[in-house]
Amino acid sequence: MKLLTNIASVATVLSRWTIMVALLSFAADIAWAQQNRVLVPSGSFHSVMPEVEGEAVKVNTFYLDVTAVTNEKFEKFLDQNKNWQPNEVPAVFTNKGYLKHWKEEGQRPDYEDVGRERPVTNVSWFAANAYCQWAGGRLPTLNEWEYSAQLMDFDSSTEINEFTTKLVSWYSSVDTKNIGEVGSTGIKTRVGVKDQFGLIMEWVEDFKPPVADELSLDCGTVGRMQQLGNAYSYAASIRYITRMSYNPRSSTSMIGFRCAYDDIDSKFKLEEEEL
Amino acid sequence: MNISKITLSFLIGLLFTGLANFAYAQTEEYKLDGMTFGMPEAEVFTEDYDGPPVVGEYLTMLPNLKPLDYEGNKHHEVRIDIVAQEIEVADGVKYKAWTFGGTVPGPVLHVKEGDKITFVMKNRSDEEVTITEPTKEGSPFMQQVAENNFMKAQPGTMPMPHSMDFHAGTVAKDDKWRSISPGESIKFDWVANYPGSYIYHCGTPSVLMHTAMGQHGVVVVSPKDGYGTDYEVDKEFVVVQSEYYLKKGAGDLYQYDFEAAQSVNPSHVVFNGHQTILHDQPLEANAGDRVRLHVSNNGPSGTSSFHVIGAIFDRVWLEGHPFNEMRGMQTVLLGASSSATIDFIVPEEGKYILIDHEFADAEKGATGTLKAGPRK
Ligand SMILES: [Cu+2]
Repeated sequence: MKLLTNIASVATVLSRWTIMVALLSFAADIAWAQQNRVLVPSGSFHSVMPEVEGEAVKVNTFYLDVTAVTNEKFEKFLDQNKNWQPNEVPAVFTNKGYLKHWKEEGQRPDYEDVGRERPVTNVSWFAANAYCQWAGGRLPTLNEWEYSAQLMDFDSSTEINEFTTKLVSWYSSVDTKNIGEVGSTGIKTRVGVKDQFGLIMEWVEDFKPPVADELSLDCGTVGRMQQLGNAYSYAASIRYITRMSYNPRSSTSMIGFRCAYDDIDSKFKLEEEEL
Repeated sequence: MNISKITLSFLIGLLFTGLANFAYAQTEEYKLDGMTFGMPEAEVFTEDYDGPPVVGEYLTMLPNLKPLDYEGNKHHEVRIDIVAQEIEVADGVKYKAWTFGGTVPGPVLHVKEGDKITFVMKNRSDEEVTITEPTKEGSPFMQQVAENNFMKAQPGTMPMPHSMDFHAGTVAKDDKWRSISPGESIKFDWVANYPGSYIYHCGTPSVLMHTAMGQHGVVVVSPKDGYGTDYEVDKEFVVVQSEYYLKKGAGDLYQYDFEAAQSVNPSHVVFNGHQTILHDQPLEANAGDRVRLHVSNNGPSGTSSFHVIGAIFDRVWLEGHPFNEMRGMQTVLLGASSSATIDFIVPEEGKYILIDHEFADAEKGATGTLKAGPRK
């Protein structure tokens, strides 16, 4: 962002030709950004956990990756951040499962086996965090993630019920060896975020959130989750519970992530102002 | 200066009292009514363990019950790991089960009233664990599964957090029964204070889903002074009733039917985890035998009116406690997570059908056979 600002201010004293080049490179950048990230407009949502009472949670505008981070993208990250390679990474940041499905020499992904466009899994929360920072963003907060996940339209309660049933079945039958490619679930929010359900589970910034003071989500926490008639209620409860049980070093074949961004819009703003 | 000194030592004092209180709360064992309470805090850790998922001398596959061959009380070291396993529960009906030890139900643990159990469990749901290869280590359970793989178990993965809730244990559930994530292990002690048959299950929400997916089993706690008829018992078996809520998935596999589970409309109601196992491999006895069944209804949601066609229950100990003795019962009503220890006399040579007299459940599979030979 700093770099862009500098270029833009310098541009005013440069030739017309230089400006054109600068703008062209912005355009390419923006196109890439638009493809991969979308604006999730501010709004509010009510937690699907009935234990969480009170006002709806407000969420500010943010940008979110359209899909989860792929094996290929994560490999690129490792190329530039050797300290996150499986044989380099300090044990405090991962457990033994870290990238265990990357079986090639030097623990690189065998794309025949794991797929270029499949979401990267077996990554710890620490690794996911580092990736998003490297990518100029951060992990989405729990509230951002859940809010985004609720931005879906259904035509009828039948559709909602079908969706719920499908989701819960998915939890009982994920084939972690054959996870689909990103974008393959056909599940998409109103603003274009894909696969928040039905592909993998995803890390959020506050990985172990207190859901409610009295709610431990351990043994004996049952019921109450199914009564809302909300498409996400049951599946969300499973997600919350799963989150509560993981620690930031955990890495399993079902958990990946996507990144959120606060200020990617500065690029757009810049463009508008300078033009 | 003085004030700060006082404050400091006061604070240190507070700290120590605090720690001491904490330690006291967690580790002080105490006795009440001859029973032992107050177990040390559970340990959650990671370990490299990749050995047999079930370890312990007194763990067996249904319907076996390893006899207790020791005097007095014993300290058991028991391991039951969580493994995902593709299993068959009725002809052609396979699903990816969430299990304790690899089968549904999990292994039967047999202990004596007053025994202490040090329990270890690794959540290996993200690991492919083969349970059907013969192994010298582990428990009789491992050997039995290798010899009799009627569920056609195959390793699978299905990473989820899980926990263990032993109904036979009396502990703080937010400590001992806590959920652990894939790759983690938990270790804790408990004492079998009460005699009887008790279910164990995963308590991680949705507890309905986890139990229905297969995470349940039985601990038989034999009373230290026995039951009145012990010396006359010829055969002893464990029978576990439970339900599955399955529907056809996209491929060959079945998967969890959320709506059916919510409305208690099981696809299969079974004895010992399989729709026909107790017919394919009937319990065996002879005319005149006194047969003892430890019957547990592991649910998750159904009830059972347990009956044996052609027999009357001579003795019934509700929940398996020797004080809860009933006689001459035709059926025993078992709610979800209820059990009974039942003695009956096999009247004559022939076939005796074990059945849930709630016939809708019987027609979904809750039946079995006891085959009786001639009187010896
Ligand atoms: Cu579980």
